[in-house]
Amino acid sequence: MAAAGSGAGGGGRSFSFKVVLLGEGCVGKTSLVLRYCENKFNDKHITTLQASFLTKKLNIGGKRVNLAIWDTAGQERFHALGPIYYRDSNGAILVYDVTDEDSFQKVKNWVKELRKMLGNEICLCIVGNKIDLEKERHVSVQEAETYAESVGAKHYHTSAKQNKGIEELFLDLCKRMIETAQVDEKARGNGSGQSGTARRGVQIIDDEPQAQSSGGCCSSG
Amino acid sequence: MSLKSERRGIHVDQSELLCKKGCGYYGNPAWQGFCSKCWREEYHKARQKQIQEDWELAERLQREEEEAYASSHSTQGAQSLTFSKFEEKKTNEKTRKVITVKKFFSASSRTGTKKVLTGKLREIQDVRTPSPSINRQVSIETDRASKEFIEFLKTYQKPGQDIYKQCKIFLEAMHQKRELSIEEQSECAQDFYQNVAEKLQIRWKVSPEKVEKAMDHIEKYVMTRLYKYVFCPETTEDEKKDLVVQKRIRALHWVTPQMLCVPVNEEIPEVSEMVVKAITGIIEMDSKRVPRDKLACITQCSKHIFNAIKITKNEPASADDFLPTFIYIVLKGNPPRLQSNIQYITRFCNPSRLMTGEDGYYFTNLCCAVAFIEKLDAQSLNLSQEDFDRYMSGQTSPRKQEPENWSPDMCLGVKQMYKNLDLLSQLNERQERIVSEAKKLEKDLIDWTDGIAKEVQDIVEKYPLEIKPKNQPLAAIDSENVENDKLPPPLQPQVYAG
Ligand SMILES: Nc1nc2c(ncn2[C@@H]2O[C@H](COP(=O)(O)OP(=O)(O)OP(=O)(O)O)[C@@H](O)[C@H]2O)c(=O)[nH]1
Ligand SMILES: [Mg+2]
Ligand SMILES: [Zn+2]
Repeated sequence: MAAAGSGAGGGGRSFSFKVVLLGEGCVGKTSLVLRYCENKFNDKHITTLQASFLTKKLNIGGKRVNLAIWDTAGQERFHALGPIYYRDSNGAILVYDVTDEDSFQKVKNWVKELRKMLGNEICLCIVGNKIDLEKERHVSVQEAETYAESVGAKHYHTSAKQNKGIEELFLDLCKRMIETAQVDEKARGNGSGQSGTARRGVQIIDDEPQAQSSGGCCSSG
Repeated sequence: MSLKSERRGIHVDQSELLCKKGCGYYGNPAWQGFCSKCWREEYHKARQKQIQEDWELAERLQREEEEAYASSHSTQGAQSLTFSKFEEKKTNEKTRKVITVKKFFSASSRTGTKKVLTGKLREIQDVRTPSPSINRQVSIETDRASKEFIEFLKTYQKPGQDIYKQCKIFLEAMHQKRELSIEEQSECAQDFYQNVAEKLQIRWKVSPEKVEKAMDHIEKYVMTRLYKYVFCPETTEDEKKDLVVQKRIRALHWVTPQMLCVPVNEEIPEVSEMVVKAITGIIEMDSKRVPRDKLACITQCSKHIFNAIKITKNEPASADDFLPTFIYIVLKGNPPRLQSNIQYITRFCNPSRLMTGEDGYYFTNLCCAVAFIEKLDAQSLNLSQEDFDRYMSGQTSPRKQEPENWSPDMCLGVKQMYKNLDLLSQLNERQERIVSEAKKLEKDLIDWTDGIAKEVQDIVEKYPLEIKPKNQPLAAIDSENVENDKLPPPLQPQVYAG
């Protein structure tokens, strides 16, 4: 990770993103992140202590990305706490179970709420999970994709069980968040010294022109 | 069973509640464990001391800067030597501090800095008051923080000096802003964090890891100093909200883990141990001064919760496991000054840590837990409104229904024993309530006398009893009157010839 590709012409930058996971109980939110971050599924001997806050470091075209994935409590009685969770997040992954029509309706509610509270600054992903159970599908692909497009979200199909579509989902989301962050930065006219607005969300760190080339400096931290 | 697991681990020694000065009054964490009166005295002394210290540090740094500049051509060996000296000095008695500092610098920096020094010293003398005898407890802590900070900054060389300068300017600015609203002060702190971080990244090209580390130290240094002014300030509703939450949690004492669907089984000894540790952790938060240290307490508490869940369920905890358990821990622990702590962290913590870091996640869950507790109703516990109301009013307690769940073939003696145990635990609960009420009453009384004493003192200060010199004797009135001479002579009685 030390060789973060500073020569890759991407400007050796690093981004920190907060992504919230939303969705009804049992649609597979936890399974999805555990598969992504630990490559585990329903593993009883799992050594992970918890799956509510997980991180992943990525390198996308020379840009370093620190992803923090926030699981949220999905039970109905905690619904009102949503805004406390998704405040300041750069992305949201809204998961439904393709075999459960109800869970798709819940996703629609979340989308409405997120757009209302955070506007277009947040990158939305709608995820139909459990596609290994294709035979029992209750939400049509057509309907889900049309809906996603209509609300400016991207749609993905995944299976935590068979490890399908998950890498793509997160990679795509990261690219979109980087884009949003850069647009945001341009809009601020690069004058990142401005208080107030600049403080929100992304932290952009410019660490390219370090004199040392050995990379040993990072490992000492 | 409930008897034992109910209140293990957390108990407060009476002596811990008393004023640290030993005057006999109750102390308060808000006043660093002193009573209001002793605190005011100590605080005044400490402030004088701090002003003095600040100058000494500034002076020291100034000298270092020049020294470093002077010796930049010489070998590096000398520098590492000064480091070890510094280390050594840390353990020295504070009375010897000045001397050590002098020794430390005398080697090379005597010549060039004289002029600056004398100028600085004069300024110090202006600020200093005659007797800076100090309260050890508070000042040792700030003193240690300052030393550690300086020592840390040395590893950053030039940017380190810049950081120090900016911190000074910031602390100065915060001092000026003391009269402003807490939101404005928070804004000022947040701007400061952001500007320093940006400057380190862009101007000094410091690596992200090192920036993060520096930010931690900066936060520690400035917030150790600002804590007493910006934690639960009188200008806010924080304290009032604290009491509301505290009362609310007390009123919810009947909530069981089952109602919240808490996935921990406290009958497993390791689990119940984790629960106690988690409660201790969250209670400890209040005793820390630096936002990051407070966050560390929350994180520590969360880790114990995860362990408790992991032992019970044998799978990694998801948010749906974690949040209800956290709520349960908060209800059980009733941590002091919850709102004040949350507000303080929100206002003065380095924002990047709160937004994306792991600590931020647990902190957010604490906010959620408190929000949930505040709004909690029958529905959120899956209870009927009637049951909820009855529990809230204290008419019944949900635990009382347990006997009906016993298997009918249970031996009579055992049944009787459980009944007795239940009665005992209720009795115990009542007694605890009485004791705590009595304590509260006692504290109120003390606060009241304290308050009156303070009022009287304030009034005395405001309208000091001045004994004016006695009026001058009446004769003096005439003597001062110079005009007297110009008056016509007094009329004489005239005699008319008869
Ligand atoms: N067949 C199949 N089952 C899945 C898949 N993903 C998750 N599951 C199962 O769905 C159930 C629920 O998964 P979780 O990951 O706990 O769901 P969740 O959304 O985190 O649920 P809550 O934490 O209760 O909100 C588990 O039994 C998983 O084994 C999948 O892709 N395919
Ligand atoms: Mg889950
Ligand atoms: Zn006292």
